[in-house]
Amino acid sequence: MTVHVVLREEELAVGEARLVAVGERELVVYRLQDGFYALNNYCPHQGAPMLAGRVGGTNAPSDVYCYRYDRDGEIVRCPWHGWEFDIKSGRSLFSERVRVRSYPVVVEDGKVGIRI
Amino acid sequence: MAANAAYPIIDADIHNEQEDRALLPYLPEPWRSRVAGSGIGYAMSGYWSPVGVMRKDALPPNGARAGSVPELIVEQLIEPFQVEAAVLTGVVYNISTTHDPDYAAAICSAYNDYVAHEWLGKHPSFKAAIAVSTLDPELAAREIDRLAGHPGFVEVIISSAARFPLGQRYYHPIYAACERAGLPLAVHPGAEGGGLSTAPTAAGYPSRYLEWHTNLSQMFMAHLVSFVCEGVFVKFPGLKLVLVEGGVAWLAPLLWRLDKNYKALRSTVPWLTRLPSEYVRDHCYLTTQPIEEPDNPQHLADLFNMMDAENMLLYSSDYPHWDFDAPDKILRKLKPEARRKVFYDNARQLYRLG
Ligand code: FES
Repeated sequence: MTVHVVLREEELAVGEARLVAVGERELVVYRLQDGFYALNNYCPHQGAPMLAGRVGGTNAPSDVYCYRYDRDGEIVRCPWHGWEFDIKSGRSLFSERVRVRSYPVVVEDGKVGIRI
Repeated sequence: MAANAAYPIIDADIHNEQEDRALLPYLPEPWRSRVAGSGIGYAMSGYWSPVGVMRKDALPPNGARAGSVPELIVEQLIEPFQVEAAVLTGVVYNISTTHDPDYAAAICSAYNDYVAHEWLGKHPSFKAAIAVSTLDPELAAREIDRLAGHPGFVEVIISSAARFPLGQRYYHPIYAACERAGLPLAVHPGAEGGGLSTAPTAAGYPSRYLEWHTNLSQMFMAHLVSFVCEGVFVKFPGLKLVLVEGGVAWLAPLLWRLDKNYKALRSTVPWLTRLPSEYVRDHCYLTTQPIEEPDNPQHLADLFNMMDAENMLLYSSDYPHWDFDAPDKILRKLKPEARRKVFYDNARQLYRLG
């Protein structure tokens, strides 16, 4: 496991995302309220570029005809077929088994690195 | 795409778009002032989706509509997937759910001229569908006659959102014109439930886009049964029908049911001298997108074995819409020969390309 530094902390504001390359891999680094996260720039469904997906919240599971908007800024929706993924874990919101590959991010001395 | 290096692809459904005002130079008065003042004014279904209709990465940087910049279509679809021919289907067939037959016919004519002048020459892969409105089948037939023989137009397209089942005799002038012109007829969904069309499902109006979109297949089942039972393929033996974007997995069980009923009720449709499924096999094609995706892909392959799928399917991407299917990601269970037919040979023969 090596940490690859991809950007400096101040280069990305909360709510922003950036495409970075680590070797052959294209990753998207997201800065949420509580820190940095990295996902593969490749949707597990048909391979859409995750960077083009909108980030927002979602309606959490609720009673019938109730809506509970939650997790604002933590969910990315694939730009093609609209599958929703949790940016923090890469997991899709409809199945434990479906996920975008996610990578641990380490921030040290203002440098954002990805552990691969 | 690596898996396909041996042959290119034909894409039977690409939605080119334009700003409403792009049609103004092709529109005569009194329609030109109407569109200049208030836009075309489609009567769409009204159902809302959080995903939106467009692929987010297909929105041109200049703020134009997705699908309106030919160069971007070439860059995102035609070149990366080696698309040899792309049928530009537009979105103007949706005009059939508005109310004025003369206006709808004028919009279609203007659009067809616009495509002929401003799209067909833009890339060698571009072919187009002639859009006609079902609000006046005689006017639609005249439009088909007007453009018949133009080498860039490879089919006629109408909306599946209609006032009544598409096989009925009211529509027959359109089918006669398609047969005269030697052009297949494509039927495309989108405006179901809008304007003067029927409710979008057999049960009425559902509450959400999720239900609306899922049930589009119902519309296609009803239209297909109508086409067969009304004797359209008997009256117009040269007619080919392309069911675009209506799903495919429902076909085999529907035809089992129809054939079974025919055995008892044949005398009500005495013009059908063969099993209904045989007319469908001889006259109909279905485009693949949005392909059904069971958890176990073998289940779809099994369904395909229950119908003549490899000879009836045409690959379609639906670019730039949200439910786009990438050619290298779908139908991977098909055998190589079947894949080649679906992605290339069937469309090449149907549209007489190359
Ligand atoms: S490619 Fe991401 S949801 Fe289909």
